[in-house]
Amino acid sequence: MKESVYQTYCPGCGIGCGLYIRKDDKGNLSIDYMKSSPANLGKLCRFGVTLAHHYSEIKTTVTGSEADVEDAIKAAEQRIQSSDSIAMLSVGNTCNEEHMAFTRIADTLDTKVHTGLSIYNELASHCHGYLAGMPFAEMEKAKKIALFVDPYVQYPLIVRRLLIAKNNGAKILSVGTKKLNLADENLPLEPDEYETLEIDNESLIIADIHPNSDDDHIKRLIALAQETGAKIHFLRPFINGAGASLIEKEKIGNMSLAQIMEDIEAGNIRTLVTLDSDPVELLPDAEAAVETLKKLDNLIVISSRKSPVTKLADIVIATEPVYMKAGTFISVEGRVQENSGEGVDGIDAMSLLNGELGGKTFDYQQMHYRVKKCVENAEKEMAGHTDNKASDCVSDVKEVSRSVPEDMYELSYLYNPFMWFDQKDDNDFVIIDRKLVKELGLKKGGMVLLSSEKGKIRLRYMLSDLPEGLVLTAKKLPIATGAITNVSMEGC
Amino acid sequence: MNVNVGDKLLGYATDPGIRNRGASGGLVTAVLAAALERELVEDVIVLKHINEYEAVPIITDDVDEVLASTGSMHTVPVNLAKHATGKKVAMPGKPCDVRGVIEQAKRNEIDIENTYIIGLNCGGTMHPVLTKEMLINMYELDPEDVVGEKIDKGKLFFKTQDGEEKGISIDDLEEAGYGRRESCRYCDVKIPVNADIACGNWGVVGELAGKATFCEVMNEKGVRLLENAIESGYIQVEQAGEKEIAIREKVNSAMLGLVDKWTEKIFTDIPLQERMKYYMEQFADCIDCGACKEACPACTCKEESKCTMYHNLADDYKMSMYHMVRLLHLSDSCVGCGQCSDVCPVDIPVTTIFRRFADPAQKKHNYKAGMTLERPPFLEVMLK
Repeated sequence: MKESVYQTYCPGCGIGCGLYIRKDDKGNLSIDYMKSSPANLGKLCRFGVTLAHHYSEIKTTVTGSEADVEDAIKAAEQRIQSSDSIAMLSVGNTCNEEHMAFTRIADTLDTKVHTGLSIYNELASHCHGYLAGMPFAEMEKAKKIALFVDPYVQYPLIVRRLLIAKNNGAKILSVGTKKLNLADENLPLEPDEYETLEIDNESLIIADIHPNSDDDHIKRLIALAQETGAKIHFLRPFINGAGASLIEKEKIGNMSLAQIMEDIEAGNIRTLVTLDSDPVELLPDAEAAVETLKKLDNLIVISSRKSPVTKLADIVIATEPVYMKAGTFISVEGRVQENSGEGVDGIDAMSLLNGELGGKTFDYQQMHYRVKKCVENAEKEMAGHTDNKASDCVSDVKEVSRSVPEDMYELSYLYNPFMWFDQKDDNDFVIIDRKLVKELGLKKGGMVLLSSEKGKIRLRYMLSDLPEGLVLTAKKLPIATGAITNVSMEGC
Repeated sequence: MNVNVGDKLLGYATDPGIRNRGASGGLVTAVLAAALERELVEDVIVLKHINEYEAVPIITDDVDEVLASTGSMHTVPVNLAKHATGKKVAMPGKPCDVRGVIEQAKRNEIDIENTYIIGLNCGGTMHPVLTKEMLINMYELDPEDVVGEKIDKGKLFFKTQDGEEKGISIDDLEEAGYGRRESCRYCDVKIPVNADIACGNWGVVGELAGKATFCEVMNEKGVRLLENAIESGYIQVEQAGEKEIAIREKVNSAMLGLVDKWTEKIFTDIPLQERMKYYMEQFADCIDCGACKEACPACTCKEESKCTMYHNLADDYKMSMYHMVRLLHLSDSCVGCGQCSDVCPVDIPVTTIFRRFADPAQKKHNYKAGMTLERPPFLEVMLK
């Protein structure tokens, strides 16, 4: 028996939970707890505990047939060279060094890498500090915390930080989501009522940014922080979402996922190159994403795991699993954390592709050095922004314009790691309000029928106190048309 | 030299390299290496050193990997029991590791005849992150400067690169919220008499202090382990004297005295009418990760388990079926190792809750989980 043990980080979100992946001599994977990891003390959420299921073997293919990496790279080069409307996407599911290598290819092609976050375009660069995150110790010290996420479902490893804050005397207010056990108050507030939160410069606002975020919502929260002097901490999905926004940021395009899909639909993007980023998994309407991606001339996927987009791809360039890679990741706390793995397949493949495209080849050490420089520069630059005191950051915030027809409800996604990777979980139910249960005459243990313009689905339901008209789900549903979908409901 | 069950010995590795690198004369490392080299076992479970505060269990059939493994580390609160399932192995183990192995064996996941256990005395382990925090706040030391630690006369000492040694009373550390994990404070098995041999440095005094291991032979497997290591030239042993035996017992008694103090402090009585409320409140922030089950060395159920079979995230019972079933299950199998508390992502003191539930029943049946294969789990016997 010979086991390999890799020291790595959970890919489920940006908290940066350290863990070990154990691989036995038959290739079976299991996890072990890295108790010395400062972000999580070895603790993991339900996604982390079942992480061995997340990794799936992937093969390099050209038009569906297995191929050598060199052949796939040559085929990719030909397709890229013959296309003049290319978009590149890397949302942060891989290490900084690979992301850096991807930007090298973008440079060669005179284009940019998009991270799926358009909020960076919406804010002046001197205001990007608001999006930078901060150490969790700040969370534990806050006097009042306004939560705009459901930590239990979306970012479970901050629950313990919030409980510590509460033990330290913090008051916790949950805004606009379901009743949270740790919250002192659960408030169904509309944006124009946020002033009733009475937060001040000893308070902390906690929210998140992700590829399907509503930029106006983020801007409203930043405005709230500016007006009150409160700190703001944006959490993120993906192992390296923070790194993807920070590394070579002048070369980042920041088109949202929705904009990329619109451009594909309009024929403005004919070739899409992705790095560990699957629009089918990421977008709320998976079916629509598949149909859009089919309209591309070329879909070139560089990926470390099998996912729906690898099935659609013209070319798949397979890299080693994330836990085996050499490289660094940046957490939402700003920690730069390094894998123990030594795999450089991804870097080598991108170097070769860059060379074929007429750019310079490179190696891991060069990428790692560049990453270190970027991090150093970013630290210097952000030092002036960490107090969230930049002003004049928010303009053109649109009024909230929800239009839920009478007798319909707003089905909203509680984005969480299982949802981002569309992985099976024990979560095939919706969360509804007690009042709705009465209105629909639902019985305990019964089902509810949800209907949208895309069809119908029967699901179990769970009771909670929710803002009126809201229905929540932690699972991607085939009836969804977006992050928010109008649905009608009946008991069944 | 003949070895017999009940012998109390002092021993060390014959190889100077192993003797100097391993803790207390390298006896445990040498016995493990000998067991592997002479095919008493197929694999050995050891801790691979990561840094001064972290090591990770690995299973290996490579003698060099065994020799390179780390010795006893107070800041590595792992439990090795589940790593032994389905294998012919030798392993070191704290009392709670050994108890986990025995609980696994009771449920046919481990063949105890093929599992050789070198028990290690344990006064308790510490969480690595809290230990670093303690070094900064209590010892005023840079955690990165620390090169070693030891417990002596009720104090916890840390040694730095420049040779400085600083000790603080464990009582003082624990009153300040540092020191041993909560479950270690009330654990009442400090010498692993449930292992095949029970080893440690308690009782090693005089010239051999720090250079030899006190080793009690608990059963015939223990005899085989030691004879195998002696015959292969890996170790040398001699009978311990009365003085050494008495000192070992004195240290054990002192440790058990601390247990009584902490048991009284932690397990305050909860009036009958408030007990259900207590359990509901304790579990109210549970995020259903299942880590407490995964990490539990007594759990053998794997994916098809009683606690998850009737539990669904959509359920909104005041206390989930998962916790209800686990409380019952653990009432006759919890070994109090603290793994569930360690891995709980929302800091629920799971071990203490389970011990609180299990203790009355275990006391009633005069039963201590994980100590012997002779007695089956009482709850399962009652169910029959």
